[in-house]
Amino acid sequence: MKGNLGEKLQSLPKPILYLILILATSIPLFFPTEVPNEPVESTKDFYATLMALPEGSKVLLMSDWTGSTRGESKGAFRSIFKILIRRKAKVAIYSAADPQAPRVAQDAINELNMERKRKNLPTFDRWNDWVNIGYFPNAEAAINGIANDLKGAFGGRKDFPPNSPPRDVFQSPVLQGVTKVEDFPLMLVITASKTSNFAVERVSGRTPLAFAVTGVMVPETQVFYQSKQIVGYCGGLKGVYDLEQLMESGVNFPDKATGKIKSDKLGTIEGFPDPDNKGQGTRYYPTLHYALALMIIMIILGNVGMFLAKRGDKS
Amino acid sequence: MNYDLLRITAGVIATIGLYSVLWKENKFYRFFEHVFLGLAAGWTMVALWTETLKANWWDKMVGTPAETGSVATNGMYAYALLIPFGLMGYFVFSKKHNWISRIPIGIILGLWSGQQIQVWWNTYGPQIDATLKPILPTTWDSLIVPSTNGLTPEQLSQVQSQIYFSQAVNNFLFTITVVSVLSYFLFSFEVKNKAVKGINTMGRYLLMIGFGAIFGSTVMMRFTLLIDRMHFIWIEWLRDGVFPFISGR
Amino acid sequence: MIPLLQAQAPATSFWSEAFNSSELWTKLIITLVVGLVVMVGLLYAPIRARKPIIAFFTFISGAYWVLLYLWPKPIDRQPGEMPLNTVETVSFWLADSNNVVVSFTQILTGFLLGLGIFSLLKIHLTKITKGHKDAFFSIVLLVSMGLMIWFGYADWFDRLGERGAMLDNRDNWGFTQYGRDFLFEGLLQQMDAAMFSVIAFYILSAAYRAFRVRSVEATILLSAASLVLLSLMGAVSFVWDENVKSIANGNPFILNFQLTEVAQWIRNTFQTSSIRGIQFGVGLGALAMGLRLWLSLEKPGSGS
Repeated sequence: MKGNLGEKLQSLPKPILYLILILATSIPLFFPTEVPNEPVESTKDFYATLMALPEGSKVLLMSDWTGSTRGESKGAFRSIFKILIRRKAKVAIYSAADPQAPRVAQDAINELNMERKRKNLPTFDRWNDWVNIGYFPNAEAAINGIANDLKGAFGGRKDFPPNSPPRDVFQSPVLQGVTKVEDFPLMLVITASKTSNFAVERVSGRTPLAFAVTGVMVPETQVFYQSKQIVGYCGGLKGVYDLEQLMESGVNFPDKATGKIKSDKLGTIEGFPDPDNKGQGTRYYPTLHYALALMIIMIILGNVGMFLAKRGDKS
Repeated sequence: MNYDLLRITAGVIATIGLYSVLWKENKFYRFFEHVFLGLAAGWTMVALWTETLKANWWDKMVGTPAETGSVATNGMYAYALLIPFGLMGYFVFSKKHNWISRIPIGIILGLWSGQQIQVWWNTYGPQIDATLKPILPTTWDSLIVPSTNGLTPEQLSQVQSQIYFSQAVNNFLFTITVVSVLSYFLFSFEVKNKAVKGINTMGRYLLMIGFGAIFGSTVMMRFTLLIDRMHFIWIEWLRDGVFPFISGR
Repeated sequence: MIPLLQAQAPATSFWSEAFNSSELWTKLIITLVVGLVVMVGLLYAPIRARKPIIAFFTFISGAYWVLLYLWPKPIDRQPGEMPLNTVETVSFWLADSNNVVVSFTQILTGFLLGLGIFSLLKIHLTKITKGHKDAFFSIVLLVSMGLMIWFGYADWFDRLGERGAMLDNRDNWGFTQYGRDFLFEGLLQQMDAAMFSVIAFYILSAAYRAFRVRSVEATILLSAASLVLLSLMGAVSFVWDENVKSIANGNPFILNFQLTEVAQWIRNTFQTSSIRGIQFGVGLGALAMGLRLWLSLEKPGSGS
């Protein structure tokens, strides 16, 4: 009877539902596929900002992600670092959201360096190319301190030069000559929490801001992007996949007619084809389709069940 | 078994242990839950001193000696005042004196609230500016924005300086959405006017679009985290760790 | 590497003394004793004085940031420049004390973070000493905590010497580095990821059971969510857009019905604006709450 069918459709047991979800998110991983995709404007702008950095630029990076969001944030972190390494940027890293974050960032860079070593590529060296300034509790006060008095905020913090005990971070080539936040041509925030909002609240207007946020922060971050408080952002797994595609194909590259990814707003931005560009985004994005499709199917199923049950009740 | 495989195997067992709560609450889950809490609390205790208090407080309070590449710094003894202020927070556990814990909390809250004026203007000033868009078209040459392909720079700036009908409609919809959503938050007084009530209702409906977007993005994020775990178990551990180990590669 | 030798020790002042000097330790101990005496004195403050004391500290803390934002800032201040008048004196003082205020905030926050750890230890030690039925799990928690603390500090001490940077390379690792890595990366990070990913199951289950088209609001929410979910699927967008392009045959009006164009229009016109409205509302509330907290107008929890 329709009423019974309606009720049955609405009451699939939880273990079955969970098993279907596990299968939907596991099986596609064994069959990697290439998924066609058009990067969104915000990620194109994010990529353009990174690629426009003059070689050797100093970048301030607030790394506020940990293992809890590594599915999205680690992919973004790795892709961003691949681009920064290409631009020969010098990166000053600090964290304000979680005491685990500095170590997580450090381990991710070490992992990247191990891979580069295996491929006989030059490594991104601590002290000379990047410094880890450490963790600053009370993110709002920390970012305010950085905005108003960078030297004071980072004063006394030490990092590790090769073959030497820890030394003041301002002695590093990364921070030499830096006295205020305006000396950085770009401040990046890779976060899973509201620390990106804190950066807008306290730093915007002093130096360009660009974010790599998790999916849950995308709607809020879009608001900042629309009002030009940030120059671009990479949002969620889609953003990571977009970034990997942009690294591969560039924008309007080699020209607008033949480029795979086009933009009316941006000029020609170089891509750098490399199998190494394919990272977490490329691995996870196809599987995300199955998970999202499952979500849509289950919502439809539940609603169809509701309508059938209502009709069953009426009759 | 090499170290990497051992480490990944421990991670997989811990992951499955935590996932066992999906079946039902059980001792296996509780064991790993407590391991997780213990490790997180332990790391907080390590990071608190090594990342924060040593550089920010201890070294500033007692100074540092001259070392290779570093000059000596003087000690600022006033930082010792933070010990009694910090200790005050621990009186929250005292039944008689717990009011005193509100002093350091009040200081933190005061420091937060003092920043809110700056925060509010820095956040919303540019957004107010970005919301006030032109809602009347400045030209009727075309209802929609013409294509900019093949235009000279002068023609391009001419096109970009105009507001076309389609843009004016979009700007109007944008502004009316912000105003109606804001009007929904008028809880301080009773809304009797029918027009305002209508705008409130429209605001409630338009709010749902924002919530729908938030829901969709949240779903993407949570599913991505699950895919990452499945990749860790099936690919990193089973396919690339266990199978090669068993086959002797 | 030639160690930097200082021609002379850094200058001392009323607020600072030379490292490890007897003057420093004397002043430090005096300051600590004074602070503790004030704290003990406050414990015996009359009940009527409690609220004003808390309000005083709250107001002074907030007043710094308000003044820093509203007070005229010095233009093109040079190092060593002296203030010309009272306004400049105050603005110089506000700028120079920023670093100290931020440090104080972070240090105080650091001490208060320890409250959570203290509370955890108190609860679980009590369970163990009283022989609670879940005492085993409390032991597990304390052992895990102890191991992480031990390996974390041991690794940190190892890095303090000249080998610090070398320990980033796994070839130079010893037992403590492997222990720290196993506990932090092998267990903690993986469990962190697992904890957050469990929510995916609950989201699916909740959406399946509760997401029903029962009202206009629910219909709008579901439609917006579905559109966002579809637009996040690149393959779906591609197929939809290709179909629209083949139907449109170059017609610019029909091309607007590509999924990427529709999603972008909804995002730019309705989604961003509605979230902005929400944020304005929340921001006004936060500003009002901030002012009430700063001026101690909030009744509960202030001195009661």
